[in-house]
Amino acid sequence: MTGPAENQELLRIEGLRVSFGTGPAIVDGVDLDLAPGRILCLVGESGSGKSLTALSLMKLLPPHARIAAEALRFEGRDLQVLSEREMTALRGDRLAMVFQEPMTSLNPVMTIGEQIVEAVRQHRPASRSEARAMALQMLKRVQIPAAQERMDVYPHQLSGGMRQRVMIAIALVCRPSLLIADEPTTALDVTIEGQILALIDELRTELGTAVLFITHNLAVVAEIADEIAVMYAGRVVERGSRAAIFSDPQHPYTLSLFAAMPRADDVGRALAAIDGQVPSAGAMPPGCRFALRCPFAVGQCESAYPPMREMSAGHRVACWRAPLEEAVATAGSA
Amino acid sequence: MSAPVLSVRHLTKSYSSGGGLFGRPRTARVVDDVSFDILRGGAFGLVGESGSGKTTIGRLILRLVEADAGEIRLDGEDLRATSEAELRRLRRRMQIIFQDPFSSLDPRVRVGEAIAAPIRLHGLRKGSGVTDRVVELLELVGLGAHQIRRFPHEFSGGQRQRIAIARALAVEPDLIVCDEAVSALDLSIQAQVVNLLAELRARLGVSYLFISHDMAVVRHVATHVGVLYAGGLVEIGDASAVFGDPRHPYTRMLLAASPSPVPGAERQRRAIEGEPPSPFETIAGCRFASRCPLSIDACRVRRPPLSSWQNGAHEAACIRADGLERLRLLADEEERMSATYRLRLGLLRQARAERRNG
Repeated sequence: MTGPAENQELLRIEGLRVSFGTGPAIVDGVDLDLAPGRILCLVGESGSGKSLTALSLMKLLPPHARIAAEALRFEGRDLQVLSEREMTALRGDRLAMVFQEPMTSLNPVMTIGEQIVEAVRQHRPASRSEARAMALQMLKRVQIPAAQERMDVYPHQLSGGMRQRVMIAIALVCRPSLLIADEPTTALDVTIEGQILALIDELRTELGTAVLFITHNLAVVAEIADEIAVMYAGRVVERGSRAAIFSDPQHPYTLSLFAAMPRADDVGRALAAIDGQVPSAGAMPPGCRFALRCPFAVGQCESAYPPMREMSAGHRVACWRAPLEEAVATAGSA
Repeated sequence: MSAPVLSVRHLTKSYSSGGGLFGRPRTARVVDDVSFDILRGGAFGLVGESGSGKTTIGRLILRLVEADAGEIRLDGEDLRATSEAELRRLRRRMQIIFQDPFSSLDPRVRVGEAIAAPIRLHGLRKGSGVTDRVVELLELVGLGAHQIRRFPHEFSGGQRQRIAIARALAVEPDLIVCDEAVSALDLSIQAQVVNLLAELRARLGVSYLFISHDMAVVRHVATHVGVLYAGGLVEIGDASAVFGDPRHPYTRMLLAASPSPVPGAERQRRAIEGEPPSPFETIAGCRFASRCPLSIDACRVRRPPLSSWQNGAHEAACIRADGLERLRLLADEEERMSATYRLRLGLLRQARAERRNG
């Protein structure tokens, strides 16, 4: 990996752990980094800890949540030591977020124009008319037709896709350097999903915003990711560029996810389901958390957690058995 | 597969909205003259975007919502003409599974009881026969007798959907309406439930109305498929014909918008414009014309009827359909995969087979 953008660091997370009260760690040692203007997809199934990872960056977790990390650095600042006031100043300005369901994030009794204006005036010393001009410009940027008239409508008067465009406008109006998008297209139809993905990709190029994109949908990942981190049971099990993960998946979990997708040339055959279920947070095995479901697992997998190993430049995997073809060949000849 | 278990003709449903003090109420036609058959032992996939009317059709069939017009025949008996008492008897033969397995089970009722209730209600078993049947059903869906006294919260999403399936099967239905039944499940669990549904159809001969927005899943589950747009069917027929050679531009758009990513293949982009029309809009011609890249003036004049393709294997409602080239869909996926992925996929299959055989 070369190019100036990749050498710069916008976000660095090391050893992030999140737990609630005295409970077990739900996010248990997550490492991630992100360069300016890049899109990192955090992929995982429900309960894998991907949303908690994002919310702990925003410090939007309930008071009994406990966040610990070796590093939690954004734009060179340590998020762990920031006060709530400093975080409030950061959120919506340098660091913004959009969620899955725009209807629950938008205020139903305020026009969308007012809501964008409010987002501007929270962080910028703009006059009402200046803020309104910025809001209108942003609505045009997210390609809302008849933006001028739409300034004065209420959220319920818009379709789901249009509401998500408004959410993106609110999130980006102050030009944050990082947008956290948590399943922003999951509630949308596939045709509209494609439009929103294209919009996010366009805006990050135009505005230079990096995106931490959280999703469980591999079709979305294939379409939008520059980099991918695959999470399983609170840990990142594989990281790399989109090309590396898709053409050279190393972790048996990543491989199993790809294999479980219904494919056009698979019709009439049973889908390749992953047997078993994710272990619960209170009962994590000492070794690899996927071992019980993994057909490649050996004794070592169940006793010790595999460290992250670099398989090629920037492509890392936490698996004792990778690369699998070598492991299988060795087992066969032994 | 022979005679249809369910036959729907000219099904229509409108809702009125607004009006208020001075305004005139507006009418939205959400299901508009829909006809289709579900063959015994078949799986009819109903696909479309949100607002296309697919969920309403499921509810109209079960008479959870009353239709304005049309016929719904279960084994020839018109459901819309039956009395309440008759309907109760017929309802035993049709069940529904919803999208959200978390809200469709009562959290205070043990799963054994949740499955036993419909068996008792319809008097299908007596005494200890009920428990035997519950155990049999739990095993049928891949759960065990030891789970009979547990509460819903003790199960994962995929397990709860299995419980919902067991409960639907408890009354030995002819037809199960699956309304986005696998949409909320994670990929690995979704595959388990899709396989289970296919296995149950083969073993028990139960039929499905499989309502989904997910083309890839429908392609896997359905024997026949109907494509809905803005309340009306635009294409219908054998799943292999509709997916193999889609004739309606909307079907093609939906397929293009639902890429199943091929590991190792190049990045794919969807280029889709526009949104479906509002159901309050009155459209004279083809409903899809406003979004259709192929539309001509004639499309906006008169609504095209469904007409036959491939010797009746499917029908499409489009006057431009015969000008379309055959769409090369992703039948060559295996070739487009990276060699490394293909190699490892082979290893995975082999390792799984070895593990299962002990």
